[in-house]
Amino acid sequence: MAGTDPTIEKMAWADSNESQTEIHVVVNGKEVHASVPDRLLLSDFLRERLGLTALKVGCAEGACGACTIVIDGEAARSCIMLAAQAEGAEILTLEGINAPQGLDHVQKFFQQDHALQCGYCTPGWLMTVYAMIKRSVHPDSQEVGQYLSGHICRCTGYRNIWTAVRRALGATSDEHVDREK
Amino acid sequence: MTEDKIIYARPPRARRYVGDAVLRAEDECLLRGAGGFLADIPTPDAAEICVVRSTEAQAVVRAIRKERALASPGVIAVLTADDLDFVDDALPCLDMIPGTLDARQRVIARDRVRYVGQPVALVVAANRYFAEDASALVEVMYEPLPPVTDHMAAMNPGAALLYPELGTNIVYQVTQHDGNADFAAREGDLVIRRRYEFHRQTAVPLEPRGVIASLIDNGERLHVESCTQLPQMLRTVLAGAFGLRLAQVRVTAPRLGGGFGCKEMVYPEELLVAAVARKLQRTVRWLEDRREHFAATTQAREETVDAEAVVAADGTFVGLRLKGWANIGAAFGLVGNTPITAMGAMVRGPYRVPNLDAKMFSVVTNKTPLNVLRGAGAPQAALVMERLLDEAALSLGIDRAEIRRRNLIQPGELPLDRGATGFANANHIIYDEGDYPRCLETGLNLAEYDNFESDRKAAAARGKLRGLGIAMYVEITAVGPYETARIALQPDGTVLLFSSIMPVGQGSETTQRQLVAEELGIAIEQVAIRQGDTDEVPDAVGTFASRGAAVGGAVGRMAARELVKTILNCLAAELNRDPADLVWEGGGVSIAEPAEGFIPLAEIAARLGSLRQFEGAKGIEAKYRIHIPKPSYSYATHIAVVEIDPQTGRLEIPRYSVAHDCGKIVNPLLVDGQIVGGVVQGIGAVLRERIVYDPEGKLLTRAMMDYVLPGASDAPADFKISHMETPTSFNPFGMRGVGEGGSIGAHAAVANAVADALRDYDVAVDGSGPFTPTWIMEALSRPLRDPTLR
Repeated sequence: MAGTDPTIEKMAWADSNESQTEIHVVVNGKEVHASVPDRLLLSDFLRERLGLTALKVGCAEGACGACTIVIDGEAARSCIMLAAQAEGAEILTLEGINAPQGLDHVQKFFQQDHALQCGYCTPGWLMTVYAMIKRSVHPDSQEVGQYLSGHICRCTGYRNIWTAVRRALGATSDEHVDREK
Repeated sequence: MTEDKIIYARPPRARRYVGDAVLRAEDECLLRGAGGFLADIPTPDAAEICVVRSTEAQAVVRAIRKERALASPGVIAVLTADDLDFVDDALPCLDMIPGTLDARQRVIARDRVRYVGQPVALVVAANRYFAEDASALVEVMYEPLPPVTDHMAAMNPGAALLYPELGTNIVYQVTQHDGNADFAAREGDLVIRRRYEFHRQTAVPLEPRGVIASLIDNGERLHVESCTQLPQMLRTVLAGAFGLRLAQVRVTAPRLGGGFGCKEMVYPEELLVAAVARKLQRTVRWLEDRREHFAATTQAREETVDAEAVVAADGTFVGLRLKGWANIGAAFGLVGNTPITAMGAMVRGPYRVPNLDAKMFSVVTNKTPLNVLRGAGAPQAALVMERLLDEAALSLGIDRAEIRRRNLIQPGELPLDRGATGFANANHIIYDEGDYPRCLETGLNLAEYDNFESDRKAAAARGKLRGLGIAMYVEITAVGPYETARIALQPDGTVLLFSSIMPVGQGSETTQRQLVAEELGIAIEQVAIRQGDTDEVPDAVGTFASRGAAVGGAVGRMAARELVKTILNCLAAELNRDPADLVWEGGGVSIAEPAEGFIPLAEIAARLGSLRQFEGAKGIEAKYRIHIPKPSYSYATHIAVVEIDPQTGRLEIPRYSVAHDCGKIVNPLLVDGQIVGGVVQGIGAVLRERIVYDPEGKLLTRAMMDYVLPGASDAPADFKISHMETPTSFNPFGMRGVGEGGSIGAHAAVANAVADALRDYDVAVDGSGPFTPTWIMEALSRPLRDPTLR
């Protein structure tokens, strides 16, 4: 796993007198034992310590959804949670879902439906979709809108995201932007 | 090379890429979370910077005490203006026309602060946590002065001055005339006078800004990585700021997580982080957090416009007289005077309106500097014109579509000179080819305009208020003055395009590869692209004003055309043939008698690979510099249908239609994506978003929780798009820009639809709102309008 080299960031924590907590978590199927400063955010732990940079920090206050990961089977915001709070948890990030190469079927729907532009918010949406699939959310249920309301996308206008998400959940009818030539 | 090695074959039929909905190749890394955004770049040795920002809107800085901060854990340095060396500490402004006063921002406050969020000091520490801790311990002694936040009040005699040495807060003005500027109403003419107010907004790309600076090449060069739409300009500014030669500065920009104009700026932090790297001789990083972003990243849109329209009894507009004032905040943005200039330049859109008398001003106030946001000033301009058309239609009893028909410029009148603009980079607006009437009729058909009254009645039966709004615009796109590109044949037979267009989400990697593949007749997989490195493309203009595909794509394609010439010359020399015997077709070279045959590009690369020209830096490559003397003008019709629940004030947009013409389309999938995304941004702008300052100049909207962006439920349920593709003669490949239009049309279409839904109530829709549920409930409490007036 990346990020095992000492960095000035880590050494500085060690030099300070701040209280640290031992955590044992399972990240993408691998056990991780670490000593973390009590106030270290989970998003920073995953990105800076473990090098898992697929999750993005967009607001650091739980409003935009770009940092969404799956914790114990539920979509959760890693930017408003402390690493210490994750003790004992099973954490899934996009790196843990990626196939060795290429795209899986959910990712392919996003590409085919042009459901991403800048791509900064995309890993967060994907993690929510994986959580929905795990819970067998029906593509036509109101729950879909509730899940999607947890994410901001500034580029796509959401329409293609709706299409891709519904297809990923197994919808049989597609809603596409009508195009007249 | 001997004759027998030539592959005798016919050239394959090349696939056509222009106009094809090619899926984006860049999606693969983005969907795997490996986009390589600035914050993802590993920087294990970097110290982190936290910027100490002004908490005062207007104050003299008496002293800055660093002692407590320096004693804080993990702190490496605390730096103020006195510690940093700049040869030139002014940030650039590109639209300072003659007579403009110098309200350029300085990179860091010296003795005075002018807005909340202005950089005052820098804390360098081992990590962001320690840097933030210490930044709270930097003691800045302010002597507060009275602030001014309202731009109209800032023009009053005796108003507090931001720059006392200038003697005024009005720092820029431009006059725009066309036809007879002294026009007056004649008997029987309708005169409409309105004041339009546009509220302050901000772009909020999901990726905040960030800068990494280091010294490279044995410390002899400065390397700055930044989230910028303008790497080449940043390099020029950095060199000037530190007195370096251009070659001593390298700027790289990774893929951007959205820009929308707010990264079309040279920011204080880009120079400050570089200055720290030079001062401390080490790699440093600054990542903007969202709270900073609201105060420190340029804002947009705020202006007031007084309009007087003279309209003949048949609905034809005789003339427009406008006076507008932009609230540009505390200092110039890079193009901070552009939005208000666009009001006068572009207000008339596709409508003839033969006489124009416009005067526009920029006013400084104690707010964050204003700059462009998707559409620059065009959304405001379209809203003014389209509201006036609806008001005139209502007063004269003319159908809203019909009054537009009577005012539209006809295809036979194009190209058309629309008069002086005042823009620094375009003297006159000259509309290129197009068919505005057909665009209107297409939009009306898409929206089923003729059936709308029954739609309205059906909604009323359900207790809902439905309204329809029409808006058209003409937009400056694909601006010059020039752009450059380089393209190189690789030993494996692929080609590598070095482009100055930044990937901001618009899909520039794919569209540019499509254009090169089409030009060379090769598979798109054989075209690679690199972007955002001034060592690779030192001289270029950048990514803004809907110019990426139309200008950046054109220059890439022209460079590919040049590459063919280079290849033919090299191959002719190798074969000892006259270059005239060689013809490029189908992704390779066909050779005329006496040795007929076809050599595909991969084979050419393999053979020429042994040539001396292919070795070292030179290689087989071509450069191109394209000059674009005249921008081209995209146009569209937007029709929004809104539905208001009078019980709650909730507003939904059940239907939205767009008929548009951006010239030759490279990739319809991506064009649709730009339109829908732009429209939803425009919807958010007029229904939800608003930057709020209190009267003391303190910013109240400092988080996404305060600044409500459109969400997944705000996407119109039924969205129709129709493409017209009238090629423009102002671009070698007939392309115009499309990135900003969605936002432009949506402001005006939604505003008109809101006014239409509330037509029974005595309420004015004179600006951009935002038309929040609170605003709507207040409107519904107004008395009913005299029904004879509608």
